[in-house]
Formats: sequence, C-alpha cells, structure tokens
Amino acid sequence: MTLLIGALTVGLILSLLALGVYITFRIFNFPDITTEGSITLGASIAAVMLVNFHTSPAVATIAGMLGGMVAGAVTGVLHTKFRINGLLAGILVMTALYSVNLRIMGRSNVPLMDVKTLFSHNWFGTDTINVFGWDASAHDVTALLFSLGMALAVVGVLYLFFRTNLGTVMRATGDNDQMVKAQGSDVEWNTILGVSLANGLIALSGALLAQYQGFSDAQMGLGMVVWGLASVIIGEALTGSRSLGLALLGTVMGSILFRELVAIALRWGLNPNDLKLMTAIFVLSALVLPQIVRSLSRKGGRHA
Amino acid sequence: MLELHGIRKTFNAGTVNEVRALQGIDLSIEKGSFVVVLGTNGSGKSTLLNAVAGSFFVDEGTISLSGQNITNWKEHQRAKLIGRVFQSPFSGTAPHMSIAENFALAARRGKHRGLSWALSPKLMHGLRDRVATLRMGLENRLDNAMGSLSGGQRQALTLLMATWLEPQLLLLDEHTAALDPKSADQVIRLTEEVVSRDQLTTLMVTHSMQQAVNLGDRLIMMHRGQILHDLRGADKARLRVEDLLSRFEEIRRREQLDESAALMLSERYV
Ligand SMILES: Nc1ncnc2c1ncn2[C@@H]1O[C@H](COP(=O)(O)OP(=O)(O)O)[C@@H](O)[C@H]1O
Ligand SMILES: [Mg+2]
Repeated sequence: MTLLIGALTVGLILSLLALGVYITFRIFNFPDITTEGSITLGASIAAVMLVNFHTSPAVATIAGMLGGMVAGAVTGVLHTKFRINGLLAGILVMTALYSVNLRIMGRSNVPLMDVKTLFSHNWFGTDTINVFGWDASAHDVTALLFSLGMALAVVGVLYLFFRTNLGTVMRATGDNDQMVKAQGSDVEWNTILGVSLANGLIALSGALLAQYQGFSDAQMGLGMVVWGLASVIIGEALTGSRSLGLALLGTVMGSILFRELVAIALRWGLNPNDLKLMTAIFVLSALVLPQIVRSLSRKGGRHA
Repeated sequence: MLELHGIRKTFNAGTVNEVRALQGIDLSIEKGSFVVVLGTNGSGKSTLLNAVAGSFFVDEGTISLSGQNITNWKEHQRAKLIGRVFQSPFSGTAPHMSIAENFALAARRGKHRGLSWALSPKLMHGLRDRVATLRMGLENRLDNAMGSLSGGQRQALTLLMATWLEPQLLLLDEHTAALDPKSADQVIRLTEEVVSRDQLTTLMVTHSMQQAVNLGDRLIMMHRGQILHDLRGADKARLRVEDLLSRFEEIRRREQLDESAALMLSERYV
C-alpha cells in the first residue's frame, strides 16, 4: 500500500513535467531537451531557498518554477532569435544548467532534513487512516491528495489558458506557423513564451519532487525527457483523442500509469540500473511500432 | 494606396543558383482597385506578393501601404494591414484546430491577443451567419478540425478569414490553382463577391486567362521579374483571352529570338 501511494504521488508530481513535455513536443513540435536541466534547476532553487534562506515552502516552490521559466526562455531565444537548431539550443542550455545547478546548491546534493516543506502536512490529525480497508500513513495520503490537487489545478489552468486568444495562437504556432504570421502574430515570441511556460511547469515538478523525496540532486534530471515522452505517449494511447482537455488529462494519467508500471517492474526484480534503458526502448517502440504496423498492413493490402 | 518603388530581389546571390526574381518593380495601386497579375512560370508573381507581405525583406526599393512606409516591417506586423490567401489550401489554416478556432485567430489579426476567451459568444454568433453564406453546410461543422475539409472548402474559409477584419490590401496568390474546376469556380465567385462588397484593394495572381479577363479593373503581365504590360480602364475591359494568348506568344517569340541570337553568337565567337 505504501508503495502504491508513493508511486501514485511521484506519478502525479512528475505529471507536471509530462505536461511541460507535452507542450513543447506536441503543441509546439519543439524537441526541447532543456527539461533535464530545468527540473533540477527547480529542485535546487527550492532546496536552497528552504535550507539556506528559510523561506516558506510556497515561496521556494514558486522561485523554482520562475527559474525554469527563465531557462526555457533562454532556449527559446537561442532557437528563434539566434536561429540555433532547437535540439542544440536545448542541449546548450541543459549543459549550462548542470553547472548553474551545482553553483546554486554549492555541492551535488542538498538534503531537506528538518525543514518544513509543502509535504510536511498531515490533514487528518491521526497517524494512520483506513483506505479501502488498508492502514495507510495519513502523512502519505495527505501528500498524495496534495499532489492530485496540484496536477488537477495545473490541468485546469492549462486547459483554460489554451482556450484564450493568447493560448489559441500559441497552439496554432505549432500547427502552422505560416498561418500564424499571416494572422499577424509573432511566431518567435509565441515560441519563446511556450518553451518558457513548459519549462516553468517542469521546474515546478522538480521543486515538488525535491520536497517530496527530501533532497535535490544534480543528477535528478537525467533521462527525464524520455520519461515525460513515455507519459505523453501512454496518455495518448489511453485517451486516443486529440481534443485538448482529454490530451492534458491523458498526459497526467500516462504519468501515473507509467510510474506504477515502473514500480511494479522494480518490484518484480528489474535492476534499477536497467530502468532508463527500458524506458528508452519503450518510447522507441511506441514511436516505431505504428510505422511498422502501417507498412505491414499496406504490403498485406497490396498482396491481397 | 500601395506604392512600390524600384523593388529588387535576388535569391541565392553570388551562387550558381542565383535567381533575380524581381528586377526593378515600380507599381502604384489606387485604393479600391482590383489588380490581376498574370505571367509565365517563374516570372516573379509570387515573389512580388511575398515582397509586399513581408515574407522576406527586399534588396532594394521601398514599399508603402496606406501612407506608411512598411519596407522594414516584419511579416506579422504587415499582417495588420494585409489579408492573404495562399496557393496551397494547407498554408492558410491550422489543420488540427477547429474551424471556429481558426476564425478566432483571424478575428484578432494584427490585434493584441490577451487572456480573454477565444471562442467568445460574440464571435460564434457572427461566425455562423457568415459561414452560412458560403452555402457549403459548414456552419453546422464549426467544431470540426480544419484538416478534415476539402481544399475548396479550406480556400473558401481562408478567404473569409483573410477578410474577416477588413484588410487595407488583399493578396491572393493563385488561390484556386490547387482546386478542381468546380471548387475553383466557387472560390472565384466568392472572391468577386467579397472584393466588390467591401471595395477591397486587391492584388490577385492567376494562371487562368479566363479569370484574368473576367476579373479586376487592371491587369499586370510579368516576365522575368519585370512588369511587361500594364492595362487598365477601357483597355482592360476590352481585353479578350485571344489578346492575352497573342501577348504570351509574342513573349515566346522574343524569347526564342533571344535564344537563337545567343546561339548564333556563341557559334560564331565561342
Ligand atoms: N525563396 C526562394 N528561394 C530561392 N529562389 C526562389 C525563392 N522564391 C522564388 N524563387 C525563384 O524566383 C523565381 C520566381 O519565382 P516565383 O515568384 O515563385 O514565380 P511565379 O511567377 O511562378 O510565382 C523562380 O525562379 C523561383 O525559383
Ligand atoms: Mg507562384
């Protein structure tokens, strides 16, 4: 039970990262690798604010998110104003962020011991509560509910935002940039804003993750783009729809499901060292399999 | 209204692929006039429209529109004044967004886009009626993705989008070339309707001599990046398809003459 609740909570926290990846990869068609640096940036800013400056957890979390927005904006500017290939722009910022994060933290790992975080609460007043007949730690259940609230709030805000005039033109920017120019909107600015927004969410996810797991680590971003993509792909398989609301919700569900699958696989004896390899293979097959199936059925059709 | 002075544009300058697409264009178009642009393939018609729309900056010359010098304006800034329909039905619309959302984008062409609701009741109300005037039954499909429509339907909607906010200048670049004859007719009829209703200043490129004869009050013929003929008023009204054919024939003959002269010269001297 503890394992399940923990996996659910992490899945929900990382769903914010998955939503960021959804925005760059799916809405903007922009393969943004900044992710791996900005999740750590969010975590390290939040950790240092809490430990060194004793700010309130909410302030630390928001500061982490703002850091991610700046990082994303830098990638966006490199790509649009300096005409650097999108992948390379992200790699440059991600690489730079590795040093920036070490500078912020002053070392490679900052533990969050004895500081109050967003996850220090217990909403139930008792140590354990009964969930469907199981005894669960009330503290863990609070963390789960809080993460759920965060994920749903972010989905709600994104859904509303992408249906405003500004949000609509941002979606169109990824769909047909020629049309967006002809409608008088600045494609470069829209892209910068979008990548910035996405990395803000990703850093928010990092700030929450650091508080939940109790530390920030320079390595925590490793493989996170692929992780986010896996969630997005599972979400698309779950909802099968391109409608905005379902796609956003699907991404959250994809993140949760993927985290559960990983927890189960680890429980069954998957070597944690192989986890990233498995994730990469999973995403690769999700990208390649549909093509193979399509070409097979086309061949089959011709012979028939 | 629209003033072009000494416009030159060379692509890939200084390389083997150098193309002098516009070689000194001077053109002045009065408010409310409907100018048809005709010319051989590669004569620079699209380049002319793109230069006006700001797809690139010209190498030389100045462009002014409605009394403002727009030579150094970026494409999205010029879009405030200019409505456009492209040759490809895919260029003018966002395929994965609904018809209504595409119109929401067009309804704020060149305006500030803030956090107000894109599909406002006000927009939706007017949209239904306007789309119904196309008589394509699309007013009941406003939630459908643009990408699910035919090329003709998309061009008709793109035209409606381009003129939703009345543009100072309407640019049409062979906007019926990719359509089947029936859809092309439909879109041309719609073009006439919209342009005459709003008295829009229009620059329309076409490959169809029939369209060139029937539409507009002025005709420009381009060749090799220059304006070869400029007919207006009674000359334009009197024009028949045969006249255009003979003018093209004349271009062809001159071209051949150039070629044979070049051949003769090269045989003699090279
Ligand atoms: N973006 C571009 N880059 C290089 N060459 C171009 C570009 N746009 C047009 N051209 C060239 O300029 C010439 C004129 O093209 P265009 O204006 O498209 O002709 P058309 O009259 O058929 O519309 C052609 O030779 C074309 O190949
Ligand atoms: Mg052309």
